[in-house]
Amino acid sequence: MILRGLATLAIGGLLTLNFLLPSMKVVARGPENLVRSDLVSELAIGGSLPPLELMDLQGRTYTREDLLGHRVLLTFERSVDW
Amino acid sequence: MNRVRLYRVLMGSLGIAFFLFGMALIVAFFLYQRPNSTPLVTTGPIGHYFVAFAGCALIGWAGGLVGAARDPWASRSVGTMTIFALVLMAVIRLVAWIIGDYYEFAGEALRAEVTAFLTMALVLIWTKPTVTESRSGGPPIPGGGE
Repeated sequence: MILRGLATLAIGGLLTLNFLLPSMKVVARGPENLVRSDLVSELAIGGSLPPLELMDLQGRTYTREDLLGHRVLLTFERSVDW
Repeated sequence: MNRVRLYRVLMGSLGIAFFLFGMALIVAFFLYQRPNSTPLVTTGPIGHYFVAFAGCALIGWAGGLVGAARDPWASRSVGTMTIFALVLMAVIRLVAWIIGDYYEFAGEALRAEVTAFLTMALVLIWTKPTVTESRSGGPPIPGGGE
């Protein structure tokens, strides 16, 4: 009976978590467009690239000025430790 | 409907559902092997390996569930492990929902499944035969003790 009660408590906790998830900011995930809806993009088509400083795999640092005059393809990937 | 009868109906229904779902997964694996086929499950060769594996495991699990439905007093551990697996599946879906990578594929179905699995686990917990009932080979005799 005690084990059943404990299991019921644990499952009740999970059920509560399941119902509360959408309203919890800390785990607000779901579709990316909703998750990122609070962010204002600084990038617009035809606009200037904002100042940036990126490091490549060899440790070299690139700034926006380094890229000036070159054709640049920027790709973004989620790292394994996101 | 008395408690153990409800347990038996639930276990039997789950067993049949798991058997059918397991068969469907195995069929999906074999259909995928045809040249130029469109996969029923939107995944690649490695994904289909695990689809087939899950299908076989579900069929094996289904056998245990049907056995527990036929004789619930002799198969308590099947019920216990089924409850554990249902909760585990719910936790995995919760994590999948939180991570968000599965949202486009599964949407809010993940949370609906969590509710269904946890509710099922709760019902099974409280309808499963007790140790005393199992030792006696059936429901305790009214007024009788161990």
